[in-house]
Amino acid sequence: MNARVRRGLAAFAALALTAPALVAQGPDPLARLDSSTRALVLALEDSARAEGLPAEAVLSKAQEGVAKHAPMAAIARAVRTVFLSYREARATLGAKADRTELSAGAAALQAGIPTTALSDLRASGHGKSIAVPLVVLADLVTRGVPRDVASHTILQLWTAGAGDADLLDLPKAVGQDILSGAAPGDALLNRARTIPLRLPPGKVPE
Amino acid sequence: MTESARDPYIEWIARQGRRQVELSSDARARVMDAVRAAPLPVRPRRGLGWLTTPRPLTLSPLASSLLAAGLVGLGVIGGLGVTHRDGRTPAGQPAAVAADPQLPVHDSLQVHRFELAAPGAVGVSLVGDFNAWNASATPMTRSADGKAWTVTVQLPAGRHVYAFVVDGAQGGSQWVPDPAALRAPDDGFGTPNSVVLVGQRGTT
Repeated sequence: MNARVRRGLAAFAALALTAPALVAQGPDPLARLDSSTRALVLALEDSARAEGLPAEAVLSKAQEGVAKHAPMAAIARAVRTVFLSYREARATLGAKADRTELSAGAAALQAGIPTTALSDLRASGHGKSIAVPLVVLADLVTRGVPRDVASHTILQLWTAGAGDADLLDLPKAVGQDILSGAAPGDALLNRARTIPLRLPPGKVPE
Repeated sequence: MTESARDPYIEWIARQGRRQVELSSDARARVMDAVRAAPLPVRPRRGLGWLTTPRPLTLSPLASSLLAAGLVGLGVIGGLGVTHRDGRTPAGQPAAVAADPQLPVHDSLQVHRFELAAPGAVGVSLVGDFNAWNASATPMTRSADGKAWTVTVQLPAGRHVYAFVVDGAQGGSQWVPDPAALRAPDDGFGTPNSVVLVGQRGTT
């Protein structure tokens, strides 16, 4: 092998071995944040990882803020809210809560649902995932249904065996009634009465 | 060994080898004709010719290892999933890709179709936590009747938050939620988002 080929091979190998490391650093998703907001996001990401929480939720909220051209103070406030709500959701739902339940629980807490509503749903969940009732609950409150009415109604439906599909249809129907002029709380109560319940045998009223 | 001690037979061979051979002029002419008739060797061309001409290459074990390492490195560069040390993907690289209905869907991904009625828009894209909220990552396609915009993507199971970015004819763009989907709580930035549950029994 002549010297030229040897030199070429060595250069090729050196480039190929170092390039992955350079490429892996990639475009920094937080490059558009100022230094203090960036430091906050990185610290919250590290804290989330240390606590077994999904760190990408923090990063995603920062990316969302950057994409929406939000002020740095708003981004800092939003990522902090996300981190704290995930932490509270984990404390409320327990260590066995899966990622979808955690995400739905954190969103419900951000919507103002009290932690007792989450723990009540968990306690009456019969071991099933409570992601669907949590997502529906957050949606209803966002549409203006009072928090206590929404929490109580969804818990009743869930405990009585309402199916996921029935719960998922509820927000759109309630939204239509609200657009037609109904009060949000009344709209939910009226629609909830139309959902067929599948009570467990021991709970069927005599 | 001295000259006189050599084998007589070898001495005879050596003498025969040193003997001058007289060639006739006819023999010399025949040899020269044969040489002229033989095709000339082709000189390799510069540039592309040099690259395409086959030639033997020998490699030491060290050089072979370097070459293999280089090829592996190139494979890593070309890999689809460039990630940071903490597992996050660069902003410009969407985790969700437009789904090809001809390709098999990975078990952990599910195809989901998004649609927005926006007849006056000049462009619509899908943004969400699955594509790092990158407005250029997942453009939507105008339907045949021109009234709606759609895109089909593969998403991992779970709860995803998303919105649409609608480019108006006047040049501005607007973030809008999906009117047909579940609503997400306040995003903290003043623009409402939507929620999709993927992989649940009642996928929305």
